[in-house]
Amino acid sequence: MVGVKNISAPYIYVCTRMRVRKAKLLPKEEYMRMLNMSLPEITRFIGETEYKQEIDELATTFKGIDLIEVALSWNLAKEYQKIQEITPGNLKQFTQAYLRRWDIQNVLTILRGKMQGVKAGKIKEILVPAGSLDANVLDRLLPEESIERIIDSLKGHRMYPVLAREYPAAKEIGSFSRMENELYKQFYAEILAEGEGGIKGGNLFLDFIKLDIDIKNIKTLFRLRADTFKEDAREMHIIGGALSATDFANLNNIDDQGEFIDQLKAKIRQKLLLSLLEDMRSEKTIRDVEVRLTRVQLEQMERMSKRNPISIHPILVYLEKKKYEVFNLRALARGKESKLPSEKIAEYLVV
Amino acid sequence: MAAELVAAVGGMTVEQINASQMGMKALGAGIAVGLTGIGTGIAEMGIGSAAVGAVAENKDMFGLALLFTVIPETIVIFGLVVGLLVLFL
Repeated sequence: MVGVKNISAPYIYVCTRMRVRKAKLLPKEEYMRMLNMSLPEITRFIGETEYKQEIDELATTFKGIDLIEVALSWNLAKEYQKIQEITPGNLKQFTQAYLRRWDIQNVLTILRGKMQGVKAGKIKEILVPAGSLDANVLDRLLPEESIERIIDSLKGHRMYPVLAREYPAAKEIGSFSRMENELYKQFYAEILAEGEGGIKGGNLFLDFIKLDIDIKNIKTLFRLRADTFKEDAREMHIIGGALSATDFANLNNIDDQGEFIDQLKAKIRQKLLLSLLEDMRSEKTIRDVEVRLTRVQLEQMERMSKRNPISIHPILVYLEKKKYEVFNLRALARGKESKLPSEKIAEYLVV
Repeated sequence: MAAELVAAVGGMTVEQINASQMGMKALGAGIAVGLTGIGTGIAEMGIGSAAVGAVAENKDMFGLALLFTVIPETIVIFGLVVGLLVLFL
């Protein structure tokens, strides 16, 4: 009777749809086949899958790598918007909150593009209007001449205070990295508050977000270790996960790899992550570490969604897996365009 | 005479007792069909919404989804059979 009391039909409907969509994602074998194809072959192959509509629509306007890039972005945005339409009640609220990360990505893409003097049309190709800023708002931002005007037009949006506060410093140093950190920190603080707001199902949403924060923090730690510059670690720490700001800073100060892994393992609970960290005692490239951490994150998310089949988890797992499918296809296409060997491209795939 | 006496013990006539028994049978049959109907409804709620979700994504699953959706109908059929047995046996 527990299931009957707590689960409503719309939840089951949406979760099943997400599970079917997840089953339709490209399997590992298809990626392996694509590694042996040329760029036009990959385009044709993608055109026979879920990306058919976008490839058909855009084939007259774009060619080669541009066609794949734009088709993938369009498909991802369309998919995310569709999911926001069909999710009911609290699930919609959590899904929309989770997708707000694309606002940060889109705004930063526009700002970076403008700073580099990239044409508006070129910037538009890689935007994914999946968050609260829809395609119309982004289209209005693109023709703006200066970065100041873009930031001003976002007045009233939740990102505006951080953008306005951080822009002068970013302009001075010519880099948006600090602004990006601050935007993501604000984003995670907001979605954590949303999960803790007492809404039904919020605790499951929090579990998912905390895992995301943990993986992000661990990736940052590994990046800082690989980096030759000494930076203030606390600035890059995201609050809310298993690692506190002090733990994060202390871990960053440890030079010995073995000791670093031991200390990190003491703070982590997930079994999958613990066995992965054990594997990382020997020095590995940062790319390898990141890909493996992402794989573990997806696997852990998958387990969570199986444990809670009628909850926000199946939806978020699909959102993440779809994102990585698009990233993989983009990496494949870009790799082929740059004539990289297949083994090299395979290292960048998250499958 | 004796039968009338026995029937009168409960303050009821034989006709009244027969009618009461028939009423109880009807009530039992009604409960059997009604409760199993509710059970079937609850079971089909989950299966039906999942089936509609699956068919919305993949039209080929219609036949299979329909089959799964009607499986809990057996519960209400059991209820109906029990109801009929109560009423006519």
